[in-house]
Amino acid sequence: MSATNSEPTILDRYEDFRTRRFLRHEETYANALPRWRTQHRRRMLVVGIGASLGLMACVSVVCAFGFRQAALLWVPATLVFFPMWLMLQIVLGRQGDAPRRTLDEFELQQRNNARSIGLVVTQNLMLLPIGYLIIASTTMRDVDAKAALDMAYAGGLMTLAVLMIGGCLPAMILGWTRRSDELAT
Amino acid sequence: MTRAQLAELINVNPQTVGALERGDHYPSLDLAFRICDVFGLPVEAVFSRKPFAPLSTELYARNDRAQGGAHVRHEQ
Repeated sequence: MSATNSEPTILDRYEDFRTRRFLRHEETYANALPRWRTQHRRRMLVVGIGASLGLMACVSVVCAFGFRQAALLWVPATLVFFPMWLMLQIVLGRQGDAPRRTLDEFELQQRNNARSIGLVVTQNLMLLPIGYLIIASTTMRDVDAKAALDMAYAGGLMTLAVLMIGGCLPAMILGWTRRSDELAT
Repeated sequence: MTRAQLAELINVNPQTVGALERGDHYPSLDLAFRICDVFGLPVEAVFSRKPFAPLSTELYARNDRAQGGAHVRHEQ
């Protein structure tokens, strides 16, 4: 039989550290952006983030056709993405990546559902850059170095876009589905 | 008692209290007992698989049953 009161492992200690750090940061931003804590405003943020991620994905596809200058559009997409992402994380209380002990059972259930969807979407979308790189590298055997560089560059951008979409999706789902903060009634 | 007050007493987010009220979330046994402790009531008085009828309906129905039962006993 195993002892029930075992010594905390290194993972337990790291989780404690993460929890304390999260609560310290969360305390700072708990009441920030009060007007953005409604469902309507959260959905606006999700739409904005979705649009910027969509633009990143489009840029990566355009780059695959040899238009490397299209990558410049990644910059405005990033400039739109980061403030909106930070705002969404603040108004959600970082529910998407909060340590387990800081969430109650309903929040954990919601987060697990959102993460599950995010994982499935990531796995499926990741097949696109993988397929592109495999197929392009086998069919473009006799191209010059520039075309090969374009292919690798576009493949990298596609992978980055897909990872960002998959990574952000749980928080986007939570931001979309979570109701407005309850009034004290 | 407000949702926020109850949420603080049972150590959950006020959104979770709202979800419990709407029936969007079925609480764990631990959370159910914590809620019952706050109200000082047994689980069956706080949670039910069927919607609770108004208290007046239950009270009058009980009185009617008692009177009906007495009536039956009287006839016997």
